[in-house]
Amino acid sequence: MTDAPSSVEKPTDPAIESGLDRLTPDRIRQVIQQVLKNETGPRFKAYVETCMRCGLCAEACSYFLSNDRDPQFMPAAKVKNTIWEMLKKDGDVSKDFLRRAVRIAHLECNACKRCAMYCPFGIDIAYLMLLVRRICHKLEITPQYIQDTVNSHSVTLNQMWVKDDEWIDTLQWQEEDARDEFEDLQIPLDKVGADIMYSVIAPEPKFQAGLLYQAATLMHAAGMNWTMPSTPGWDNSNMAMYTGDNEISGRIARAFFETAARLRVKRIVMGECGHAFRSVYDMGNRWNSWVMPPFEVVHALAFYHELLTQGRISIKEKYKKKVTLHDPCNVSRGRGLHDKAREVVNMVCEDFVEMTPNREHNYCCGAGGGVINCGPPYKAERMVNNRVKAEQLAATGADVLIAPCHNCHSGLEDVIQHYDLKMEIKFLGDLIYDTMEKKIYEPGA
Amino acid sequence: MEENTSWDWGTELKEIPFDEWRTRFNWVQSPRVSRDGERIAAIVNLDEMAFNVCVNGEVWEGEYEKIWSLTPVSGNGFAAFVARDEEWTMAVNGQEWTQWCDFIWQMMKSPDGRTLGAAFQSDSEYGVMVNDMPWEHRYENLTGAVMAADGTSAAVVQVTSMPGADVDAFKQGVFSVARNGVPQDRRFLNIWDISFDASGRQIGYTVRTNREAYTIVQNDTLWDNRFESVWKPEFLDENSLLAPVRVKGKWELYKNDAPFWRNRYDQLWHLTLSPNGRDIAAIVSAPYGRWSVAVNDKVWPVSWDTMISDIYFSENGATLAAVYKHKNVWDLAVNQTSWGMAADMVFVPCFNADGSVVAIVIQKQDQYQLVVNNRVAASGFSFMADPVISPDGSMILLKGIENGIYKRRIIQV
Repeated sequence: MTDAPSSVEKPTDPAIESGLDRLTPDRIRQVIQQVLKNETGPRFKAYVETCMRCGLCAEACSYFLSNDRDPQFMPAAKVKNTIWEMLKKDGDVSKDFLRRAVRIAHLECNACKRCAMYCPFGIDIAYLMLLVRRICHKLEITPQYIQDTVNSHSVTLNQMWVKDDEWIDTLQWQEEDARDEFEDLQIPLDKVGADIMYSVIAPEPKFQAGLLYQAATLMHAAGMNWTMPSTPGWDNSNMAMYTGDNEISGRIARAFFETAARLRVKRIVMGECGHAFRSVYDMGNRWNSWVMPPFEVVHALAFYHELLTQGRISIKEKYKKKVTLHDPCNVSRGRGLHDKAREVVNMVCEDFVEMTPNREHNYCCGAGGGVINCGPPYKAERMVNNRVKAEQLAATGADVLIAPCHNCHSGLEDVIQHYDLKMEIKFLGDLIYDTMEKKIYEPGA
Repeated sequence: MEENTSWDWGTELKEIPFDEWRTRFNWVQSPRVSRDGERIAAIVNLDEMAFNVCVNGEVWEGEYEKIWSLTPVSGNGFAAFVARDEEWTMAVNGQEWTQWCDFIWQMMKSPDGRTLGAAFQSDSEYGVMVNDMPWEHRYENLTGAVMAADGTSAAVVQVTSMPGADVDAFKQGVFSVARNGVPQDRRFLNIWDISFDASGRQIGYTVRTNREAYTIVQNDTLWDNRFESVWKPEFLDENSLLAPVRVKGKWELYKNDAPFWRNRYDQLWHLTLSPNGRDIAAIVSAPYGRWSVAVNDKVWPVSWDTMISDIYFSENGATLAAVYKHKNVWDLAVNQTSWGMAADMVFVPCFNADGSVVAIVIQKQDQYQLVVNNRVAASGFSFMADPVISPDGSMILLKGIENGIYKRRIIQV
């Protein structure tokens, strides 16, 4: 493993700078006061009043650990240097303060909630950081690249400016290719009354169309009654959730669930993504007054588990290389799927080694919470902030890292390359596709 | 609506051996049934990259590399998007349109079914075609195409190019609405939910004017009020546009830029007007997390915990049905009364003229059933299309596949 520089130059973000240029002290005060008064409640008050600055959150934070325990990266310090100060000064904060606050909220916190688990009072610092991002959104000082992603969501209802025809054309292309393996394979578009709506995030049609191919072969082999929508509402991701653009976030979640309703499906299965799962399970739904998702949403991990344990797919020969598993925050710490993930890995792989810590205690990949979506300008500092993750991966001695989440996958790919970890990275679906029997499920067979 | 008085409402059972098609073709997909139930069609595979549409056992002329979006259309026929030599067009009852393009999607039908439209892309430029006539102007991006009853089409189009990730250019507003291909003058950050009045002359839509201000455009005029969010507007008549708007965290109904309903809701969407124009209904949430229906701002006394997906008026407006999910099962409520079917899924209800008969297809334990006024009228089907009630209300047309055989059956109410 190679060392990362201990610090890197902080880039200037044109969107933040142009946003700050337009701000006046009155506007800053007005927005902060409005958000704190109208958009917070007892939860915020309780967090503010119960934190006793004990610092137990510090050791939980991968930024703190990766930066030689620099106190400025303590979660409590991040709160102190952002929302508490805004509250204390009743919104009367400077542009320099805001420039630092944007960085803390968007680039120095993955909203991974590990610190909340170690806080003796359960203070959810991710919530507080998202509140800062909400203020940044209203002040129009959100980092450029993640704002562009949200702009894409607002126009196309997907995060990568995938046009309607490109989406359908990609599905048809993958269907055609997959017919080399299964002659009569279909990716059924808009099949009303299907059991399952399969949904993905936009990087799949944009850059990783092979994942659609794999999912289609899996559905086909398992004999599922499934469909995919041809219309916007197919992308389950939601970066607006991470920029505090709650209105666009709600619009995305509405389109997603109403697409399922239009297709009259029984449940939604989604690909290997963590934040998207959080969006439809926890946040996007609630802005719309859906306390819980109106459709059962099954993460790919749980779906693989179902297919394997029900015998709908079977493994021909287990994967031989030594593998380790990264627990994505939103599906493990957030939703408790870590044990199912291990059962699947053990059904598919011969040689599985745990990383330490693991399950709900796992360190974030360092890319989540919208951090990687802030784009290439921040990659160098992201690598510095990922040092503890790199050390954790290196200690496993594994040949292959399984990362069942798109954000984690992309972030960890960078970590592996940057720290020269000599590991391959795979989705769990990659391994299942490689090892499964390529035959069609027959009940009772 | 299509005229159904001329249909065969005799009680003779008509059958087509649908599963036999599976022995004739490599595979059969996307079965669709004509409105009158006389025809069943499916996309069939003849050979590698050779597809066609089979209707009642007869295939259209020619072959295509790809086919999708098979849809029942006016005259009890079928339309589909078809591709040959990597170019696409629409085929209606086997007749191809003359205009071919690089891709075609989003099939649109006028309420009488006689006008068909679709979005298309050629050479990376986007437009809409209506009855084989493409827009003269094309755009670099197009979303949300709609078509009015008279065949007027509109879509959100990008009228100014924008470099990748240029968030400042985006803030200036690069989107407009093109009507029959001609863009309107105003540009916005975002435009959604284009709505026409019954004549197709009036147009309304939702817009975002800056990162946190949403409002409504009514023809060329922007409402003065700015809201936290807005949902799709609907024309009450040619001079009155209604829209759900979010104010101080709650949803209200506005008419022509002024508060219209008095109550405020945690959610308010799916505005639905009775065909006679007398009643306005919407799906509402109040209190937070509970779902009900408001009719003229009066909320039904029942509510459900998961969702209401859609609501439907009978033709005379006397009956209002809501498709809802509660405690993990789907159901139908008619004029505030739940049917208690506890189904795995329910589809779209249909009504007789006075709304006294309501029929709906449901799925339960992997079977399709036809339910009429909350009594099971037929079951054991592996597929059913939405039923139709005869003009005099005495008969129901059932269209479904049972034991591999397509059946058109008339059931007496």
